[in-house]
Amino acid sequence: MSSPADPAPSQTFLQKNDFLIRRLHSLSGLIPVGAYMCVHLITNASLVGGVSVFQNNVFSIHSLPLLPVIEWSFIFLPLIFHAVAGIWIARSGKSNLQQYRWVGNRRYTWQRITGYIAFLFIFTHVFHLHGWFHNEWWLKTIAEPMGMAKFRPYNAVSSLASAMTGIAWPIFYAIGVLACTFHLANGIWTAGITWGVWLTPKSQRRASIACALFGLFIGSAGLSSLVAVKTTDAMEAAKIENAMYDARIHAHTITPDDHKRSDGHAVEKPKSELVK
Amino acid sequence: MIAPGNEASAKRRPTKVNVRILRQDGPGLPAYWERHQVDYEPDMNVISVLQKVAAQAKTSDGLKVAPVAWDCGCLEEVCGSCTMVINGRVRQSCSALVDRLLEDDANEIELRPMTKFPVIRDLCIDRSRLFRSLERVKAWVPVDGYYDMGPGPRISREEQEQNYPLSQCMSCGCCLDACPQFTKIEIQRQPAETEADYTTRKNASFDDGFIGAHAISQAMLFNAHPVGKIMARERLDALTSAGGVQDCGNAQNCVAVCPKEIPLTTSIARAGRAATVYAIKKIFDR
Amino acid sequence: MGSNRVLVVGGGLAGLAATMKLAELGVAVDLLSLTPVKRSHSVCAQGGINSVSDMTRQEGDDEWKHFDDTIYGGDFLQNQPPVKEMTYWAPKVIDLMDRLGVTFNRTPEGFIDRRRFGGTLYKRTAFAGATTGQQLLYALDEQVRRRESEGLVKKYEFWDFLGPILDDNGRCVGATAQDMVTMQIRDFPADAVVVATGGNGLIYGRSTMSVFCTGSAASRCFQVGARMGNPEFIQVHPTAIPGADKLRLMSESARGEGGRVWVPRKANDSRYPKVIPENERYYFLEERFPKYGNLVPRDIATREIFNICVNEGLSVDPLRMSVYLDLTHIPRAELDRKLGGILEIYEKFQGVDPREEPMKIFPAVHYSMGGLWVNYEANADGGLLPGSPKNQATSVPGLYAIGECDYQYHGANRLGANSLLSCIFSGLFTGPGIVNWIKGNRVASDLPKSLYEKAVAVQEARHKKLLSNTAGDENPYLIHQELGDIMTRAATVVRDNKQLSESYAKICQLSDRASKCGLSDTGSWTNQNVIFTKAVQDMFPVAKCILKGALQRDESRGAHFKPAFSMPNLTATEPVAKRAEAEGWCDAFEANNKKFLKSTVCTWNGNEPDISYEDIDTRLLPPRPRLYGLVGAEVIEQVWKERSAVIAAKNPQSGKKQLTGTT
Repeated sequence: MSSPADPAPSQTFLQKNDFLIRRLHSLSGLIPVGAYMCVHLITNASLVGGVSVFQNNVFSIHSLPLLPVIEWSFIFLPLIFHAVAGIWIARSGKSNLQQYRWVGNRRYTWQRITGYIAFLFIFTHVFHLHGWFHNEWWLKTIAEPMGMAKFRPYNAVSSLASAMTGIAWPIFYAIGVLACTFHLANGIWTAGITWGVWLTPKSQRRASIACALFGLFIGSAGLSSLVAVKTTDAMEAAKIENAMYDARIHAHTITPDDHKRSDGHAVEKPKSELVK
Repeated sequence: MIAPGNEASAKRRPTKVNVRILRQDGPGLPAYWERHQVDYEPDMNVISVLQKVAAQAKTSDGLKVAPVAWDCGCLEEVCGSCTMVINGRVRQSCSALVDRLLEDDANEIELRPMTKFPVIRDLCIDRSRLFRSLERVKAWVPVDGYYDMGPGPRISREEQEQNYPLSQCMSCGCCLDACPQFTKIEIQRQPAETEADYTTRKNASFDDGFIGAHAISQAMLFNAHPVGKIMARERLDALTSAGGVQDCGNAQNCVAVCPKEIPLTTSIARAGRAATVYAIKKIFDR
Repeated sequence: MGSNRVLVVGGGLAGLAATMKLAELGVAVDLLSLTPVKRSHSVCAQGGINSVSDMTRQEGDDEWKHFDDTIYGGDFLQNQPPVKEMTYWAPKVIDLMDRLGVTFNRTPEGFIDRRRFGGTLYKRTAFAGATTGQQLLYALDEQVRRRESEGLVKKYEFWDFLGPILDDNGRCVGATAQDMVTMQIRDFPADAVVVATGGNGLIYGRSTMSVFCTGSAASRCFQVGARMGNPEFIQVHPTAIPGADKLRLMSESARGEGGRVWVPRKANDSRYPKVIPENERYYFLEERFPKYGNLVPRDIATREIFNICVNEGLSVDPLRMSVYLDLTHIPRAELDRKLGGILEIYEKFQGVDPREEPMKIFPAVHYSMGGLWVNYEANADGGLLPGSPKNQATSVPGLYAIGECDYQYHGANRLGANSLLSCIFSGLFTGPGIVNWIKGNRVASDLPKSLYEKAVAVQEARHKKLLSNTAGDENPYLIHQELGDIMTRAATVVRDNKQLSESYAKICQLSDRASKCGLSDTGSWTNQNVIFTKAVQDMFPVAKCILKGALQRDESRGAHFKPAFSMPNLTATEPVAKRAEAEGWCDAFEANNKKFLKSTVCTWNGNEPDISYEDIDTRLLPPRPRLYGLVGAEVIEQVWKERSAVIAAKNPQSGKKQLTGTT
């Protein structure tokens, strides 16, 4: 009789590396993806503090050297891995919430549902604001005509405000942010069991409360930035942004880069204002 | 002497009990519902209902049918035989009291076989995968032999109190049936296949599937034993192979359905911790 | 040449112990069981397992006293060498179970904790909560799984043993069995067959036993020539929870941990038990047996409870006879730690928390002291000769019986927490003897195939006949119910010759009807109907043994109680008359022993059991009156003590410790 521990030669790559893949999935969800999400949402929330605060933060991020390398190795690749492995994992189970309506089981099911939502949301969000690729041809002929690739780092608030006009996009973002928040907060809790941090039902309950509070915090940070962007006057914001841009060019802390600015150095003006 | 509540409920007592049973004549055959009606008696459980169903072998329409097949043993919830899905919930049928079930639905009691194990017939299922998992994690103490070698290692009361609940696991399979990560594996014997080949093939597919809460918990039980510990690495190898502890999705249904209230999720977290440490050690001890 | 194989039938404590020991000795084992072995009836044992411990030793206990308690508890109906060997092995058995990882309860310092059980004054009983049998069984199950993964053991679970296969010389060379899923019948050639198939409580319909304890396996051995010993001795456990499908055991450990049995002194007192003041409660066991109190042996406790309810009309429930078993004075945490398992059972099935409210309990059929007659070979010390192939051998050569299905260890009444011991002990001890038996015999797999084919054909014919009997209108389930009712009425606590002989006639008729059973399932896939019908049919030979054995035994001994032939109570009050009465009592006692201190031995003549009697081997301990310090019977003990002293003075060499046991 073969020893159960020896991987049988017939096992697939996924079976042989089941443990590694699932643990990397768990880890990547926390660091860097989860950590990045926290930074991202908190940075967004700084908009509540005013246009200049937020724009200042964006300037700092964009002053990082080799930003695309950082983005790909610490955000996109881990995120893609987390998403793909996540879908594989989600497909390995079968929810039975209809039969057993307990909290833990609801959370299990919602972790998977929010995972799918987060997947769609982030995919769209990156297209909507960043156009997926920084390729000139792609942006000009495909993404921008589709109304995508909206974000301009050096006109951060005003370009966001223009991206968030109407009601559909804000609702989409609210759902996406809440799904991501639940997924992260609950993910931290399950990771704590997976890695063996909290063992007993008591400690798991305490961790559960802590994770819920964390989720509340991150979720409200995410939503507050949405509210902030909807209540900001884009014209006024653009003025501040441009002034900040000019000041930095003048101080040589940044180099001119039209790709990171809105066309015509300002946001599209609403028609009513043009008449004036 | 009899609590007043009992007298009140006595008035509501029905004269008949209706049961709806999901039957299946053999592996791979279609399942079908069948209704039976038996006389009500006070303090009945699902076993006594099934005993009556077997004795009368007649549906509620009066149709003569083969008696419903089901497994049972001790009838006091320590042997683990009589697991089935009763009113949508997996549990032992011996401790499923009819009065209590009729509170869910006074019209009918619904009985189905366990959902994650191959049906042999009616409510009988094949749980050999469950015992295979125990072999997979080497759930035993590797003593030298059975000659008299004096007493075992001293065990503190605290350790005993941690281990005793785990050792009450009766391999009933409730935790597996309720687990969304544990999915059915049904292997049928091929006509030309020898019994040994069939067993090997069956075990190989069992070994790729999720091992489940009960075996994880048993692995932790034996890793906590002063002598059982000798095989801790082998058990952790099993727990981190395909279908190991990492497949747990933390739905925690296992602990909610466990009739023995075994702290399965604590065992799972312990196994997670042990696996973490073991995996890191494996990298650096290489 | 083929290689040696042993077939073990039954995967409870005894069967598993034998399997793992045989595997350790290098013998290949086929292990056959009706159920996955982990689900065997041994899981139901609750209270614990007895042995002398370092602590009790310092209180004056030793193996001899354990032996004495066991013999005295069994009313001297056991052959003494096996019992002696068992009690001397007991500490080793517990050590082994400890090494196998059994989660015995611990003292604060980490030693195995002990509690007191019935029929002894020492705290000998090691326990794992209130699920000791389950814990012991799992430890053995694990070891057998280990041996299975090493390849020496092959398990056949969900297989029904149909009977031993005998060669032309009457030697057992294998067995036939039926796969309960595919219904295939096949032979299992074996150089020795060990039956470890437990008790036969299902003959009584409802008992504390699991549904597979039908006794049919032992009956099938009996029907091909194995003898049956002391079948009439059926233990009725004093404390069980009455139920519609089963009578659930409420362990003796409840009393071992301080539980008290009582009823209100006033009949039909309908007050809530906790408001009844102490002085209006009748703690009848404590009052009548101050020395042993609630921990008198089971047969006595059962009779007392029965008497309180039936004759004195003091049942606490007008609808269902019962007395209180009260634990409410013990702290909750301690109850949960030591008795959690059984209290949960009560709570689950009765819906009442026994930590808050006294339990209502009543006696129930629990254990078969009798069973397949087995042999032994004594050594010079009066214990067993290790490795002798005679030990545990039935009257059919090559067929062994161990555990509850043998008759060897418990005499007329088993002491609590001795059954787990006898099962594990007999399982382990029999291994080397079987190995020696095999050595001297031709390998079964070399025997002609036709021998086995013939045996299979016989079983197939029986099976086919049952399936084809569609005209039969007898329902096996109803026949079983009737049998259970008759047996429960005639052969439990109180036995009466008229009722016994009427019942015997009734079950003879019933047996004929059982042979005409029509099946509602005639399929050949997981046909539980036909398996059950065969089991019911095979209950009858054993039931006949029980009734006939009881009918012919005109005395009261242990669990067998016949008021018409009981020793009289002392009625005199004046000392001299009382003394004379006690002398007469002792004379009658001696005369009765001459007649009935014998094992009942049944053989099957194809239709009914023939009964003969066999002398008991009392080489170590002469019989003495079994009174357990009954109030009012002190004078009998006094007289007996004096008589024994005289005998001892006459032959000083007749056993040095004979007199130590006068308790």
